[in-house]
Amino acid sequence: MKRQNHRIDELLDSVTADMLAGGQPQFTDTGLRVERLLLEMVRPDPIQPRRVLPEHLHFDFHAGRMTPTQALRGLVQLVQVSARQRGRPFSNVLEMLPNPDDDAADDSEVRLTAEEQLLRDLVNLAVTIRDDGQVNPLTVVDVSHGVVQQFRIETGERRYWASWLLRDFIPNYTGDGMIPCIVIPTENTSVFRQARENTARSGLSAVAMARQAALLLLTVHGYEIPDGAVTNDFYRQALDLDLRGKREFTEAILSAMGGMKRGQFSHLKLLLKLSDEALDLADRHNIEEGKLRHVINLEPEFHAEIVHQIIDFGLSAKQVKELCEDNGMDENDEETLDRLPAAATKVAKLTQAVKTLSAGDIANAIIKQEGDPEIAFARLQALHRILTDALKHLSAK
Amino acid sequence: MTRVFVFTNHKGGVGKSTSATNTAYGIVSMLRHAGAANPRVLLIDTDSQAHATLVTTGSKDYGADDSLYTVLMADRHNAAQTLLNCLVPSTWDADLHVLPASSMLEGAERELNGLAGAPYRLADPLNQITNRYAAIVIDTRPSFSLMTEMGLIAATDAIVPVEPRYLETVGLMSVVGKINEVRDGWRQPNLRVSGILVTKMNARIRGHKYLLDELKSHSVLGPLLLGVVPVNEAVSYAHQCHQSIFEYAPTAPASKAYMDIVAKLVRTLAAGGAA
Ligand SMILES: Nc1ncnc2c1ncn2[C@@H]1O[C@H](COP(=O)(O)OP(=O)(O)O)[C@@H](O)[C@H]1O
Ligand SMILES: [Mg+2]
Repeated sequence: MKRQNHRIDELLDSVTADMLAGGQPQFTDTGLRVERLLLEMVRPDPIQPRRVLPEHLHFDFHAGRMTPTQALRGLVQLVQVSARQRGRPFSNVLEMLPNPDDDAADDSEVRLTAEEQLLRDLVNLAVTIRDDGQVNPLTVVDVSHGVVQQFRIETGERRYWASWLLRDFIPNYTGDGMIPCIVIPTENTSVFRQARENTARSGLSAVAMARQAALLLLTVHGYEIPDGAVTNDFYRQALDLDLRGKREFTEAILSAMGGMKRGQFSHLKLLLKLSDEALDLADRHNIEEGKLRHVINLEPEFHAEIVHQIIDFGLSAKQVKELCEDNGMDENDEETLDRLPAAATKVAKLTQAVKTLSAGDIANAIIKQEGDPEIAFARLQALHRILTDALKHLSAK
Repeated sequence: MTRVFVFTNHKGGVGKSTSATNTAYGIVSMLRHAGAANPRVLLIDTDSQAHATLVTTGSKDYGADDSLYTVLMADRHNAAQTLLNCLVPSTWDADLHVLPASSMLEGAERELNGLAGAPYRLADPLNQITNRYAAIVIDTRPSFSLMTEMGLIAATDAIVPVEPRYLETVGLMSVVGKINEVRDGWRQPNLRVSGILVTKMNARIRGHKYLLDELKSHSVLGPLLLGVVPVNEAVSYAHQCHQSIFEYAPTAPASKAYMDIVAKLVRTLAAGGAA
């Protein structure tokens, strides 16, 4: 809403100077402010690549279908179910913390699920906040509009969730429901800053790094960043973009990503080819890029299965690679090509036979193979896409 | 610390609502004029008559779900959030926010009377959001009721609007005494009487001039004189049009007088210290 009236301005013009004599009062913003804000005024950033909540809670929360307390209750229930299945039931979240009186060995032996680990970390943080009587300030951006007062978290989402946990799930809360925040003036905010803050700290998963890379690319290519939670397809748009298109930003992007090399950057970005389920799993279990890079060569329907195997069997990068290569394909004899998937070498052979091919024959052959012109069309289009991408790879070399 | 100005006097018709609404709007405008990053002011109407609400929002149709009443009835845990949800923008300025009164406040007073912690039901949630505002202005009803007590407990500065005919110092001292009782009784060391605002002053009436002079020379009350607003028809017309005096008649004597008062208050905000 705009101001409706201006008649007061003349009055102000005529009187301000002498009325405020004794020095014009200083109201201008002096930069960073630390404020204690009501927890309810603070909201996590839905686009933040470093996600805290499990996928479905993340979406329900950001779509406004859940309050922070309900989202946390969802997490607690999720963990309670899996903990009960594994014979470690609990009713109060404080029971998640290792008991100092127990044998230390007991704790290191059990492997926690990602959700258990997350909740335990949050409870731990909550208890630290309670015992220290303070929490390091979050950094937030003032996105208030009219009477709706809201701050978007740039960094510190875990402290935010831990504070809610402390308020609503841990007995005898004595705080005042506020959280200290450094309010960054809106004009100083940027995805670059956020990326630097994110990557400067350890613990950003390869998938989160991939989302971060995508976010930077999408931003410099002028894509509009939506207000709500986004699906992986939003980030996947970056698969069609690269640094080359935006030379002037390349250095800024790479340095915001923690000073990585171009090659690393594009490897990370390619992880967005993983299926949704695989992305979520790999993010939650913090699987390294070196392992995931082999998975993306497979058809998407196999991705989640392989990631499950990586998690369950603790596969090494080498093992993942082998697993992904002899995925039911013909063995290849030729030594120099043995590290490439069989199908790729088949296509390579085919390129030597182009002269003997006719377009009509190819079309007919594919229809015959698929038994349906529409599926044939889709198959050929997929081949076309990948050949176009192959050309790009060649020109990059 | 954000200053919370409560306009209070147990007498009716002395200009509490007029002064609260116009100074609230004046502070927003002057802060913005001075380049303040945050010129927002929150006006809280604790009078079930809802005059301040009506002139600043154009409506007095607030009730169980969207008014101060809602905040007072809310669960302690959610009271601050409830307060935020009940805020409405004023029609005077986007940065003047209003927590509307409701006719239901009368009932609230009865429901809450005697309940432990009742007098803090405004102060507690308000404390959690004050730093969002450059200043907060509370309008009160003409009585020393529980509602008024809540307003005083939530405030840092009590300003007493008074008509010249009530200016005899005995009456004023009793208002000051009441405010001090609240401060000591509810352990609100921040609260003090920081201004007496003479309204509807008619310099042609000899009695007015005499009483004002007496006030000025009083050792305790004299230094508290915050300003003198002349009786001015424009004030009632502005009220009827639901406009601020500054917009309705920027050159009227009452406008100038109120701007003077606003400047004094803004100066205390800038200094962050004593008035
Ligand atoms: N300076 C003034 N000159 C003329 N009329 C005034 C002045 N101040 C207030 N009034 C009028 O007096 C009446 C009572 O004022 P109001 O602010 O509602 O008092 P209160 O809130 O203390 O009951 C209103 O009609 C208002 O327009
Ligand atoms: Mg009134």
